[in-house]
Order: sequence, then structure tokens, then C-alpha cells
Amino acid sequence: MSAVWRASRAAVKRRRLQTFVLGVVVLVSSAMAVATLGLLAAVSGPFDQAYSAARGAHVVAEFDSSKATAAQIVHAANAPEVEAVAGPYPEAVLHSPSETGDHPAGLPGSFTLVGRDRPDTPVDTLVLSAGRWATGPGEIVMNEPSYIGPMQIKSEHEVVTPDGVRLKIVGYAASASQSAGGWVTPDQARALHSASLQMMYRFRDAGSDAALKAGTAAATQGLPSDALTGTSTYLAIKANLAKGPNTYVPFLTVFGVLGLIVSVLIVGNVVSGAVVSGFRHIGVLKALGFTPNQVTAVYLVMVTFPAVIGCALGSVIGSLVGGKLVRQAFFGIFGSDLVLDRAAVPTWVHPVVLIGMPVLVALSALIPAMRARRLPAAVAISAGSVQQTGRGPMVQRRLGGSRLPRPVSLGLGWPFARPGRTALTLSTVVLGVMTVTMALGISASVVRFGQLQNQTDRIQVRIDLSDPQWNPPGPTHSDDQVFALLRSLPGTAHVSAQSALETRMTGSSAILRVGVESGDTAQLHPDLVRGRWIEGPNEVVVSSEFWHRHKVSLGDTITLDSSDGPQPQKIVGEIVGGWDVTTLDWHRFIPLSPVRRAQSFSVQLTKGTDPQAYAAAVARTDPGLNAAVNNASDTIEKVIISVVSTLTVMLIIVSGLGVFNTVVLNTRERRKDLGMLKSIGMTPRQVIAMVVTSVAALGAVGGIVGAPLGILAHRIIIPMTGRGTGLDLPDSLLHVWNWPTVALLAFSGSVIAVLGAYLPARGAAKAPVAEVLRTE
Amino acid sequence: MTNTDGYEEHDIVVQLTDVRKDFGDYAALDGVSLEIGAGESVAVMGPSGSGKSTLLNMVSGLDRPTSGSVLVGGEDLVGLSEKGLALFRRRRIGMIFQFFNLLDDLPALDNIALAGQLVGQKASTARKRASELMGELGIADRKDIHPASLSGGERQRVATARALMNRPALLLADEPTGALDSRSGDQVMQLLMDLNGLGQTLLIVTHDPRLAAQCARRVVEVADGRIARDRSVNHAVATKAAR
Repeated sequence: MSAVWRASRAAVKRRRLQTFVLGVVVLVSSAMAVATLGLLAAVSGPFDQAYSAARGAHVVAEFDSSKATAAQIVHAANAPEVEAVAGPYPEAVLHSPSETGDHPAGLPGSFTLVGRDRPDTPVDTLVLSAGRWATGPGEIVMNEPSYIGPMQIKSEHEVVTPDGVRLKIVGYAASASQSAGGWVTPDQARALHSASLQMMYRFRDAGSDAALKAGTAAATQGLPSDALTGTSTYLAIKANLAKGPNTYVPFLTVFGVLGLIVSVLIVGNVVSGAVVSGFRHIGVLKALGFTPNQVTAVYLVMVTFPAVIGCALGSVIGSLVGGKLVRQAFFGIFGSDLVLDRAAVPTWVHPVVLIGMPVLVALSALIPAMRARRLPAAVAISAGSVQQTGRGPMVQRRLGGSRLPRPVSLGLGWPFARPGRTALTLSTVVLGVMTVTMALGISASVVRFGQLQNQTDRIQVRIDLSDPQWNPPGPTHSDDQVFALLRSLPGTAHVSAQSALETRMTGSSAILRVGVESGDTAQLHPDLVRGRWIEGPNEVVVSSEFWHRHKVSLGDTITLDSSDGPQPQKIVGEIVGGWDVTTLDWHRFIPLSPVRRAQSFSVQLTKGTDPQAYAAAVARTDPGLNAAVNNASDTIEKVIISVVSTLTVMLIIVSGLGVFNTVVLNTRERRKDLGMLKSIGMTPRQVIAMVVTSVAALGAVGGIVGAPLGILAHRIIIPMTGRGTGLDLPDSLLHVWNWPTVALLAFSGSVIAVLGAYLPARGAAKAPVAEVLRTE
Repeated sequence: MTNTDGYEEHDIVVQLTDVRKDFGDYAALDGVSLEIGAGESVAVMGPSGSGKSTLLNMVSGLDRPTSGSVLVGGEDLVGLSEKGLALFRRRRIGMIFQFFNLLDDLPALDNIALAGQLVGQKASTARKRASELMGELGIADRKDIHPASLSGGERQRVATARALMNRPALLLADEPTGALDSRSGDQVMQLLMDLNGLGQTLLIVTHDPRLAAQCARRVVEVADGRIARDRSVNHAVATKAAR
């Protein structure tokens, strides 16, 4: 065993408590680093892998078959930018198709059918999850996401077109490119009045929107200018999926960075404390013949040892928590079946953290360890302990003359004796308070976001209508009757009805989710981020997600497929969540919805009405009306708050351990002073008061500095999260602070400091003093 | 004669009865009984490990006996809580250590005043009393000097002044000249003699026969945790012999 290793091991044994503190701090930081890196990787990693494996299309283009022939499209695609193509395939759109058989999954109002002769094409390669490919007329393969579960082929399952053509479902497949609702043979598609051709491209450079635009331009060069009627890109699918992890990434990154900074501060504090208190030890090592490099190595190994163990354990914990979080992040997002199987903390994260954290710890220790290296042996041996320097004596003199109780004034003077250590401890407390503040702000914003989404402030009761196909016989009242019924109930202030459907927007082959509302929507509509609520026909509001995905502005016109053909709609406002597009044109769009009527009603009650009793009254009138009090909170809301709370507790513990470590160092260095003070009559309680006061003042300063920093971090993180998830969040989400809360948060610094200091202070109060007073 | 805490000369200030102190299997004190009267000056001597420091710790309330009773100034230390012991040390005793044990970040005056402030004196009152003591001990010009800049003798005088701050019934000195050169040591010895001359009860633990001879009227010799010999000292003879 080398001398360095032996000396390091002895140093670790001598500082068991600090070694433990260091190990815990590194453990927490490593766990956070693994989880954060895992989520960061999940933003694109699983999608890229899955999409690449499925040979997903970078661009799905739609051509007007009357303007360009298949041969022309294929010829144009022979460009160097194009890596692979599939198509062109005849494409037909079915309006309001229906299904036969039990428990149909429901078809979109506008159903895209593509005539494709085979599934294993070089782009958008399909794997059948059940049945076989469509080979003849009257057969269809449905696009079903795999999360729905294994599908069974049943003879009675058919899709019926508006013209009465029956298409028997012979297979199920999932398209990563979301290129169609179903596939038939090319002849069948043409027979269904196909008016367009679908072409799918993979480009050599597909890293950005600009690259995709350039690729599409190259692949369509020479075609008539109006031949290309719409495109959809894989980046939109990717961005939609990235919403999940992007919800967590901003605040997890900040928490992770804070954790790393606190770790670095604590490591620096531990090692500089070890060097300062171990001057004689350093002198002895040098006198024994240790080279300066070996002395440095002793201190580096001393901290690297607990760091490696803490890091290994932290990686395991981080991997478990991170893996769960990554899977949770994608839960419930449209298209997430593509990535769910691959959603895990990637392998490369572990070596990065396992090597990176100990290296970071060693680097943090290097500066104080270099001090030990430079110290001449004779000076070190004779020094014994470091003399008090800085402003400590001057401050103590002033405090000694104050009216404060002497233990308090003595404690207040301690931080000035070791300004470096004080700065490190103060930083730890500042970061702790910042974390608490930020966490509280994030949680409050998330809760407010949930309130906005669910409109709990203006809608007290929601009524879902039973679907007669799943829960027969369904409601006995028609939509108009439900309106009349609800308005007649005592306590009703306003009522609105909602339904939803999937249709298409001209210029895009992607499916659009449209919300249709009627009733008192002027009173019950969600908060607008910009613009105004719908006031007339052919006006819509769009979601933030739609706003950014399609880069629209107020006043723009979009054209939606409706029951009476394409309908231009003017965008008059933007709302945070909800459907892609919300319209009030009930009679025009409801025929495209699966149930062709309202799916739910929302009720605002007059003040003083009991929502529970109201819901019960509604249910009594019609068993098909499922009324419930609107106090729902989203799963994601709960997950975010629990993750934030967990991280906050962890960082408070780490921050408290930083204070704990400082107090341990201080009390050890001052054990002789403490012994003397006890010998002249300082009581145990006074010792505790003195030691706790020494950091409580730092805590107070840390609170005053940390709370505003936390508020600032909150103001940065919330909009970042909004951008990451494609949402424009209203300013009201940032206005979650009030003075009493901020004052309490500023006080939390003292709480962290006192919690961290209490145990070592009690230890100092109980420590025997007889021996220490006799030794020099 | 009345000493600093109102004790009559023949009042018993320290009374140890059959005191035993075990550290594991090792008996540091093995049935020690000792009485010290007010105004006495007693030196405890013995080789290293004989138990003299443990004896001092029993009297000062810094440690508790395994068995036996310790009465100092009429207070039974065995029955006192940690807080009670602290209050006892505050009011009843003053301690002087071999290595002074001054607070490095306080000037000499504040090191002394500290003991007064702990019993609740105002800073100004404590500093006034500390200043008087510094004058009496001949270090009046060192008030604002920090311990690191004082000589060994001066530091011990500051420590002595701090020990006297609350007018203790008993002054305990643990090797008070052990870390001093001979000149400083002589000054401290003279100081202790002067204090005893004024009626201050002294209990000195020392290896130094010269200190014992000069400052103590009674020498208690400890060996293997027991009192081996307890004798009065004829000052004139003892001082000559020690030289």
C-alpha cells in the first residue's frame, strides 16, 4: 500500500463525519445530474432512434394530382439533397366515415386514406402489429398507435365511407411519420376519388426547418408552382413529443446546476478546513519525506474516496428516479408510443457522471490542497493552528462592547475570523434559499397553470355525456334539452357545451384537433394569451402549440375541412392549452365529430351554490349525464410538484449539510476556546446559542440575498418551460408572490442555518473540556 | 481574616470525600479525601499519570467522580446538572491554565471582561473591573493588545485577571508556570503569593517544586490515584531548599 494511500485513509478515518457529509452531498448531486442528463437526452434521443429505425419521413408532401403526375414527382425527387423517397401514393380524404363492430375506437372527422401497395417502403417503413397488408379492393389497414394494445382482427370490423363503400379491416400498423389514418391498395384509393398524391422524403440534411425547406424545394424543383398543396415535417412530431421532457428540463437543469455548485462549495470548504486544521499534520508528512505532490495527493484522495462512493450510489438512485421520470415525461402525449419503449436514461450518462463528479470534486479540492503543497514543513509544524486574521479582532472588539448577551456577540464575531469559509457557507445558504424560493414559485405557477387549464376559477361543475356505444343507452336528453335542463336548475349562472373532432387544415397533411363550443362561451372561455375571444362566424382561437407549430399571427386565415367543404377561419386569439383550434361554428363542425353532439357541458354556479349538491341534482335528472365538481388537477401537475418538492428537500439537506460542515470545522478549530469558555462558566445552552448565532446571522444574510435570486430564477424558468413545451404562458403565472411569503422565504435562510448548526452546536456544548484545556 | 468571597479563614472551601474516578479499568483517583480551608494555599504534586489533574477536574467541576462526594464552597458538585456546574464555575472558582487559553480574537481587556459579562455584567461595568484588575496585576498598558502579541508572562497575568474577575472563592491553577521562561514564571509565582497573601484560597497543580515551595503552605503529594502525603510547608526552609 502506498504511503499516499495510507495517509489518505488515515485522513478519511480522522474525518469520518466530514467524509460522510461529502459522500451524501456528492450522492445527491450525482442523482440529480443523472436524472437531469437523462431527461435532456430524452428530449431528442429516443425519438431520433425510433424515427431512424422506422425510416420515418422527414417531410410528407401532398400534391394535387391534377397539377403534377406521379412520374413528374418521382423525376423531381431525383435531387442530390434527397436520400430516399416513398411514393407517390394516391390519397383520398373521407369526411365523416363511420365504423361497424363493437367498441369502435372512433374515426376522425376527416380521415386520410393512402393507397400503398406495401408496408416495407424505404421511407416510413411500417410494421404490422396484427393481421396482414391490404391486397385487394374493400380492404384497409388501420394506423393504430401501439399503446392501444394488441388489436384483434374481427370480421365485423369495417370502415364505411360516406358513399357507403365498406372497407374490411385486415390489419393494424403504426406510422412513425403519422402519414395516414389508414392504408388501402392504390386502386382502392383511386376508386375513393383520390385527388392528391402523397410523397415521403428523407433528406441528407434534415437538422432544421430551413434544411427541410431547402430539401423540399430541391425535391419539387421543376414541378408546377401550385402542385404542392401541403407538407408536414418530422420536426413538428418531434417538438410535440419533446414537450414531455421539456416540461421538466428547465427546472431540473437549474436544480442540477445548483446541486453541483453547492457540492463544489462544500468540497472546497471541507478540504480547506482540513488543510487549515491540519497544518501540523502537513508539516509532519513533509518532515517524513512526502513530496509536495504527495501531500497534494493525500488531500485529493481524501475527498475523492467518499466522492466515488457517493457518486456510484447517486448514479444508481438517479438512474431509477430518472428512468421513471423520463417515462412519465412522455406519458399521455400524442405519438408517444413511438418513444415509450426507448424512454430510459441513456447508458452514456453513467460514465459521464461517474467520471465527471469525482473529477469535479478533485478539482474543487485542488486549490486548498495546493496550499498544503506550498506550505514549508518547518512553518507548518510550528504553526499548530492558524492565527486569527482579517477583521475578526476588530469586529469582536465592537461586539464585545454591545448590549447583546455575550454568547450572542461572541457568535456574531465568528464569521469574520474566517472570511473565506464564511463566504463559502454564505453561498451554500444563498443557494439553499434560492432553491426553496424557486421551488415554491414553480409549484405555485404549476398550480395556477392547472387552474387556468381546468378553469376551476370560473367553472365549478363539468358534465360528461356518456357515450352510448360504450355506456348504453347514453343521455336521454338532446343537447338543447340538456341546455334547458341545466339553465332551469337553481344555482346555474352560465352554461356552455363542448365537443371535439379531428379534421385537416389545407396546406398540411397532419391531423388537427378542433374544439367546438356553444352556449355562454363569452363568460366561460379560457384566459387568452393574446387577441380576443370569438365574436362572429368564421373566427377561431388557436392554442399556443398550434400558434408556434404553424407560425401564425392574429388576423391570419386558416382553412379547415368542415361538413360543407373547406372553410376559411380567421385567427382572433391565442389560448394556452386546449384544442389546436377552437370554433363556435357548432352546426358546421359537429357533423364531423364522432358522436355528432356535445361531449360535455360546463357550468358556472352562482355564489353560494354547493357544487357537490348541484352535481348530484344533475345526475338525478339523467343517468347519462356524469356531473362532477371541477377540482381536477393534472397528473403532470402532481408529478412536477412532487419532483420539485423532492429536489428542494434534497437541496435543503445539502445546504444544511454545508452549514453543518462549517460549524463542525469551526467548533473543532475552536474546541480550546469552547473549553475555556465552559471553564469560566458558559452554560451548555449559552454554548449552543453562541454556535448557532455564528451561522444564524449568515443565514439571515443568505435569506435576504437568496430569496430575490430565487424569484429571479422562477421568472426565468417558467417562460423557459413554456417555450420548451410550445406554450405562451400568461404573465399571471409569474405573479405568485406576496410580501409575507417573500419575508418568510428570506427567513428560511436562518432556518436552514439553525437546522444545519444545531447538532454540532449541541455536540460542542456536550464535549468534555478537561483534556483539551491541558494540551497545546 | 476574610477572603474575597466572604469565607472565614477556617471555613472549609473544598471537601473531597472518598472520591474515585475510573476511566474504564483504570482508576485515576482511588478513594481520595481532602479538605482545603479558606485562605489556604495548597500545591498538588506528583508524577505524570498520578491523578493530580483528575483531582483538579473534580474540584473545578470539569469532570464528575465515579463515586464519592465533592463539595466546593458548600455546593455538592455531584448533584449538579451541566448548567449547575457552569453556574458554579462562574461564581465560585477561577482557573488558570498552563497554556493560558485566551481567546485570540479578543484584546486582553475583553478577554478578562468576558468572565464578568457571562455573569450578566454590562460591557462597561465588566471592562471597568477588568481594567482595575489589569492595573493591580501590572499590565494596565496592555489592554488593547491581542494575546498573540503578549509575552508568556503577560498572557498568564491576563488569564489570572480573568480568573479573578468574579471574585472566586477558590483559584485553581494548573501548571501556571509550565509554559513560561524562568523570569515570567517568577513573576507569576509572586503574583500567586500576593493573592494568597490577600486571603485568596489557592489550589495549584504543579510538577515544579520551586512553585510549590514558594506559593503553597501545604503540599499534597499524589501517587497512583491516592494521596501519598499531605504536609505543611515551612516557607523559609522550603524556599531555600527549592533553590
